[in-house]
Amino acid sequence: MGCSSSLPDRSSGRSTGLNNADNSEGPDAKNLRVKLVLLGDSGVGKSCIVLRFVRGQFDPTSKVTVGASFLSQTIALQDSTTVKFEIWDTAGQERYAALAPLYYRGAGVAVIVYDITSPESFTKAQYWVKELQKHGSPGIVMALVGNKADLLEKREVAVQDGVDYAEKNGMFFIETSAKTADNINQLFEEIAKRLPRPSPS
Amino acid sequence: METTHSFHPFDSFLDRMRNPASLDLVRSIKSFIVSFSFNAPNPENDAKRIQDFFQSMEAAIRDHPLWEGSSDAEIDNALEGLEKYVMTKLHSRTFASSAEDVKMDAEISDKICLLQTFLRPQHLDIPSVLQNEASWLLAEKELKRINAFKSPREKLLCIINCCRVINNLLLKASISEDHVLGGADDFLPVLIFVTIKANPPQLHSNLKFIQLYRKQSNLVSEAAYFLTNLVSAKSFIVDLNAKSLTIEESEFEASMQAARLVNRVPQETLTTFDKMSTFRKITDPGPSTPMHIKAKTNLNGELNYPYMEAEAGELTVGDVEKLLSLYKDVVTKYTSLCSTVRHLSFSKTVSPAPQGNDDDLMRQTNGRTYKDTSCQED
Repeated sequence: MGCSSSLPDRSSGRSTGLNNADNSEGPDAKNLRVKLVLLGDSGVGKSCIVLRFVRGQFDPTSKVTVGASFLSQTIALQDSTTVKFEIWDTAGQERYAALAPLYYRGAGVAVIVYDITSPESFTKAQYWVKELQKHGSPGIVMALVGNKADLLEKREVAVQDGVDYAEKNGMFFIETSAKTADNINQLFEEIAKRLPRPSPS
Repeated sequence: METTHSFHPFDSFLDRMRNPASLDLVRSIKSFIVSFSFNAPNPENDAKRIQDFFQSMEAAIRDHPLWEGSSDAEIDNALEGLEKYVMTKLHSRTFASSAEDVKMDAEISDKICLLQTFLRPQHLDIPSVLQNEASWLLAEKELKRINAFKSPREKLLCIINCCRVINNLLLKASISEDHVLGGADDFLPVLIFVTIKANPPQLHSNLKFIQLYRKQSNLVSEAAYFLTNLVSAKSFIVDLNAKSLTIEESEFEASMQAARLVNRVPQETLTTFDKMSTFRKITDPGPSTPMHIKAKTNLNGELNYPYMEAEAGELTVGDVEKLLSLYKDVVTKYTSLCSTVRHLSFSKTVSPAPQGNDDDLMRQTNGRTYKDTSCQED
């Protein structure tokens, strides 16, 4: 187990994501592959969070093959396991809400994003949580993310509201800023740690 | 992952299958294919059997002397070859084989035809930096090719290529136009619009075919994501109503109604009118141009209207029934055509009918019926 580092920047070896051919690694205890679906209102910065994560904040010139809406990235944890995230972005506009089940079917992780300056987006996030509780894969790991944490002066959703809601629903909660890259790696590392392992080592 | 449709490894698969050493494999493949002729098509059951077969063959190929010491990529090529071979042989049984699928395909295609007459990017709030005609045409072209292939993998590649073109457009816009990369918020609307513009053949059947028969271990990751997006675009189109779009409900209904009228006007009427010099004359086929109409009708309409050349004295009582039915036919067509023209000229959302000179109209309708043209128009 032993993944307790709170200094993920130092502890995580970052793989480029390039050396992983699509089917080259089967899922095993050491190398997990997980489908992660991103949900949240349009404009909350879902794709920015992922881009931050995939491109990394230390080397902005790193050329990772990225699509605009599907991205994958592998991280290494301290216990020498690796987790390959296959990140499925979803369209956040209301008119596409009914299509979401097509995307979260079979997902091991759902990251539900809202914008801390937008109470509407927080309400929408709660809608997604309920929907996933009803229809998501059993055992899906859910994270609630308040994004745009750099916009403190415009904050309209209190940190405590996010904390309380997440706790009540057994979710991991974090506030991030895709702009400053705050907590972006922490988000994915926390998720990686919470993934069920085929056989604990 | 490959970006082209060419698949030379298929030849190498066939070569190996011709090798006497692979006789056992060839036997199992052939007997598997033959076994399907014993019972009626049943998509879910067929898919299960075929997927199981792919799995058992994977094991057989891995253990086979011919593939001894082969890399994963070589094994994978053999399995792709196998998928293509089996699914090509079983194509007529597995592709669009139920009446239900055929009906669904027709319904989707008809609805897209209606939407094509008035849908604009702004109805899906697609930002103007993403409205790139050249990219969209390229993406459409990929989707339209889907029936040029019989194997699930190649069909899926058409979808992947289409999605990659759109992705590149989004990435380009985010770099050069300073458009904040919107991810799926931008991607899906463009894909939906492109799908409507392309009206890919047998959309429902193609998607179902790929979902059921693409080797499951390859239907993961980006390929699965892109396929899901097209499935989702299809689902959006099937359920599409005024509320799905940024449009007034009344405007949506009027546009759909006008589109239905255009599509209902029978083909032969329109073909006849195609040959007329200007659209204006269609709206007013008054007595001022009788010779013109007669001449043109003679060229194109004599099969449909055999009495055009007849003299009163030649007619008999026996002709009355036929004449009456032709009269009713003509009146029905004329009424619905007039109504269409009225809708077209009143509806702001529908682009005006070709107004230019004679050459323009001839060029636009050349080689197609008017109906087809209206379907193709953006």
